[in-house]
Parts: sequence; structure tokens; C-alpha cells
Amino acid sequence: MQPLLSLEAVSKHFAGHQALRDVELGVSAGEFVALLGPSGCGKTTLLRCIAGFLIPESGRIRIEGEDITAAPPYRRPLNTVFQSYALFPHMSVADNVAYGPRRAGASRREAQGRAREALALVGLGEMGARLPRALSGGQQQRVALARAIVNRPKLLLLDEPLSALDLKLRRRMQIELKHIQEKLGIAFIFVTHDQEEAMAMADRIVVMHAGRIEQVGAPADIYRAPATRFVAEFVGEPNLIPATPAGPGRARLAFAGLELAVPEGTSCAMVRPEDVVLVEGAAAPDLATATGVVEDVVAIGSVTTVFVRCGDLVLKVARLGMSGADLEPGATVAVGLRPAGLHFIAG
Amino acid sequence: MAASRTALALLLFAPLAFFAAFFLAPMAVVAISSVTTDGDTLTFAHYARILLDEYHWDVLWVTFRIALMTTLICMLVGFPLAWYLVRIVRWRTWRRICVILVIVPLFTSNIVRSFGWMVLLGRTGLVNQALMTLGLTERPIRFLGTETGILIGLVYILVPFVVLAVGNALATIDNSYEEASADLGVGPARTFWFVTLPLCLPGAVSGAIIVFALAVSAYVTPALLSGGQITVFSMLIFQQYSSVFDFHYGAALSITLLVLTLVLVGIAGRIGDAGRRAA
Repeated sequence: MQPLLSLEAVSKHFAGHQALRDVELGVSAGEFVALLGPSGCGKTTLLRCIAGFLIPESGRIRIEGEDITAAPPYRRPLNTVFQSYALFPHMSVADNVAYGPRRAGASRREAQGRAREALALVGLGEMGARLPRALSGGQQQRVALARAIVNRPKLLLLDEPLSALDLKLRRRMQIELKHIQEKLGIAFIFVTHDQEEAMAMADRIVVMHAGRIEQVGAPADIYRAPATRFVAEFVGEPNLIPATPAGPGRARLAFAGLELAVPEGTSCAMVRPEDVVLVEGAAAPDLATATGVVEDVVAIGSVTTVFVRCGDLVLKVARLGMSGADLEPGATVAVGLRPAGLHFIAG
Repeated sequence: MAASRTALALLLFAPLAFFAAFFLAPMAVVAISSVTTDGDTLTFAHYARILLDEYHWDVLWVTFRIALMTTLICMLVGFPLAWYLVRIVRWRTWRRICVILVIVPLFTSNIVRSFGWMVLLGRTGLVNQALMTLGLTERPIRFLGTETGILIGLVYILVPFVVLAVGNALATIDNSYEEASADLGVGPARTFWFVTLPLCLPGAVSGAIIVFALAVSAYVTPALLSGGQITVFSMLIFQQYSSVFDFHYGAALSITLLVLTLVLVGIAGRIGDAGRRAA
């Protein structure tokens, strides 16, 4: 099937700084894709290239097969929710939302009707007559969303739309955005630097770093099997255990003298903190164990992280709830990890 | 506490005293002298003399016509200039040079600049020579002593105010508004009309008000470029004060011009507000 959006070797640079390098990506209709990366990784530049505010130096951008690489923004069949919302300050909320259909030639009545519909969808049916500056940040965010979906585009671009909201509201909006996306069947490309946000919402995550795509995959795959050390460290908390070659196809880990069969080029093994356990009493037979000393305990309520030093290595051990919160730094504990939870990273 | 209260009182008093001494007091002197005679009796005879005389209405009409035309032309010239400076020039040095070129004339005296235009606009001046060389006219065009000549002089002097006011408004408009408009499928021309223009309207209106107020009260430029052929209201006031020495009548003329100007400026302000709401 032809993808809704396809990027072919898209490159862009600003004054000697390469912002995008040969980015290749396909997005299907109705898909929720998160562009995830630290600031300066090129994710916003990529979004602006898709929206048409920037023209890449090389490469092609196609929507449903049609080349739109150099098309101006007002000729592209997509809409954007801006980070600053960019609501027109001199227009009422309803006029803001009706702006697209009205200028596209709809009658005033029809445009206002569609604006009401879109505002109702985001839960702001009663706010049409107000000016944007009379609304709270969260409400402005909803107006920006209503304005962007009023024309029912096939593709919606969202540039860190939740970054200005406080954490609680942000969590609620994440769920709501996802529901709206599923209800409308619009493909979303969502830029964020927050990996939890990306994992909570996206069908697929595109991890970017230094203008390149590091990995594309479902949230679970990215989390469990990061392709590079950067992805492992950016998405979630990794325990990275150095691996030294020990004969063909085998490596010795810097933990409990563990020797395993590994893929070619493996430089370290990654295990998530929740796959590391503190062993009390007799160890289960499938665990590789070592003793260590507790360095720190960080309890945040839902999760308690225990930092255990085993030789040169400090392992993070995650435990549900407050269990382990009473461990004192300096205590000796046995740490066990399941070899099945290990993921090997090259380079 | 007491010290800070004294300081506060001083802080409030200083600008108030300044304002009273340099704005209110002279205004009061003029206003009072406009409704008195030399014998200090109250009279509205001066106002009656002005308002019942058709000649004054003619001069007022000429004055306001010139001021309105000046404002209009200043906007038409100043807006594109401001746009060019803020939106088109990318090279900083060139932008700085342009801004200096716009501002430097403000440092020179009006008289000098108006004399300059007298030379340029004369029968054998540079403007007529250029027009004839280009074959645009066969005989020299008369500029001096016409409203056109006064308009040219006033526009030249006042256009920087529009460029500064509009340029400032344009520079503070967030780029993302225009991007949002384009994103919603609206082309550049209509984006300008529906988004950019309404957003810089307050700046444009304030620029227009400054230009209008200065043009209505301008004396030097009209006096020099009119060649005695055209009379504007400020000349009548000047005559009363400097030649006729009738300070009461001159004061009444001043107050008349002031009130009429304020009324027009008030209306313009209302239009600006309404425009912002309607857009």
C-alpha cells in the first residue's frame, strides 16, 4: 500500500550545521507517529520541512505519491498545531477556527457551523465568542487543535503541543489527543522530547539524533530492543553492562562473570531496571547473581530505584511501590538478572 | 517608612510638576487669553469672529485637506518602506544604513529642509529639469505656491514617523501567525490582508495620528513652500502673534485648531479600535 507521507533522503542544513541527513520515513494513513529526540536533533526542522516552512536542499517529500517538496505551505493537504499555538489574537475563538474554511470559500454560516463542530469535539463548545487571550493555556491548546482539524486533513503535524502545560493537564491531554486521533482517523506526526509522552501516545516512535533517524519502531520494540546506545539512554533508564569478546560469537559481561553467546560486534549488554531483582534467600536457578553494596535509594511512590554497586558497575534496580525503600546505603545485597532480559548493542 | 513615603510623594510630584509647568500652564494661559479682552473681561467675541467668518472656514478646510492628504501619502509611502526594512532586507548592515537614512533628516532643521525643497522644486530646479529631460513635461511644472509643493515638503518631513511606527509594529508580529495562516491554506496576499494588516493596525494608526497632528500644525514648511499663495491655519495664528500683536485673537485661533484636531484624532482612534475588533 502506498504510504500517506513518504520522505526520501531529505537533507537540510543551516549555516554550516547539518540539521537533517538523508532522512527516510513513511507514514501510513491514520497512524500516530512520534518524532522523539533531544533539542537540536532535527525533529522540528523535519516537521517544518513537511509543513512547507522550510525547503530541504535535497530529497523528496511526497503525500499520496505527489511530490510536494517545494510546494508552499498553503498548497499542502495537511495542517499544523504550533508549539506557541499561534492563535490570531484579533479574532474570536470561533473566528480562529472558522478561518480555514471561510478563506477556502465556505459561507459564513457554514464556516461557523464547522467551527462549532470542531470546538465541540475538543470540548470547548461554549467558548466561541471569547478572545484567545481570555482562555487558559490548556484551552488555547484545544482551540489550536480545533483550528487544525476543522478542515479534516489526512495528516496533522503537532510541534510539541503539550510542552507549555503542567504535568497533570499534560497527561490528561495525551489521552484525549489519542482519542481524538483515533476518532477522526487522521495521521498524526507528533514532535516531542518527552519519551514517556511518545510511548504513551504513539503507534510508532522515530528516535532522532544529530539530524539522523536512529531507530524507528513500535514503542515496546524501541524500549526493549534499542538499536543504539543513544536510543537505550534516551528512551527509559538503561543498565549498560560492558561486554568483552571471549572467543567467536561469545562475550564476557562485566557482571557475575557471565559468558554468553552474542551477535557480532556487541560492545555492551542492556538490561532495564525492572529486569534486575534483589535476591533474598535462595536464588532462582535462571538468575545470574552477584553481590553488591547499596549506594542510593530513590523512592518516588510508584517505583523505588535502588542503586547497587557491583565492582565497577552501578546497577539500577526498579521495584514496584515502596518495597526496598527501607534499604540503607551501605547494605550488602544480592542482585540477580535474567539473561533473557538482556539486549545486546553494537558499537 | 516615613522616608519612603516622602520619596514616593517626590516621585509622584516631580513628573506632575513638570507636566504642569510645561504643558498645563502654557495651555491655560492660551485658553484664558482666548476668552478675555485686554481689560480682562470675559468674552467669546474672538470665537464668534472666527466661526462666523467664512474665510476662516476656507483656511481650515485647506489646512485639514493638506494634513489629510499628507497623512494618506505618508501611509502609502511609509508602509511599503517599513515592510521593506523589516521583512525584505536580510543584510543587517544595509538595514542599519536604511534606518539611518530614514532618521537622519529628523536631525536637521525644518527650515533648512524646506529651503532645500524650494531649490529643488523651483522653475529651474532639479525636479523640473529632470522631468523635462525625461520628456515627461514640456514646460516647467509650478510646484512652489501650490498645495502639491506643500504636500511634497510635508510628506518628506513626516514619512519617517510612519516608517518607525509601522516598522515597529511589523517587527513585533510573531512569524507564527502568518505561518498558521499559510498552514490553513491561505495565500500570502490574503494572509497579509486578514492577519498581518489587522495586527499592525494599532501601530499604523498611531503613526497616522502623529503625522496628522504635525501636518495640521506645521508652519515652517507651508510658509516657505506656499510662496505667499496659500494660507494654512498656523500662518493665521503666527500673524496674530507676531504682526498684529492680538494675543487674544491668536489664542482663540490656536484653541480652535487644537479642538478640531483633537476631534479628528479621536474619530481616527475610534476607527482604529473598531477596525481591530471587526477584523
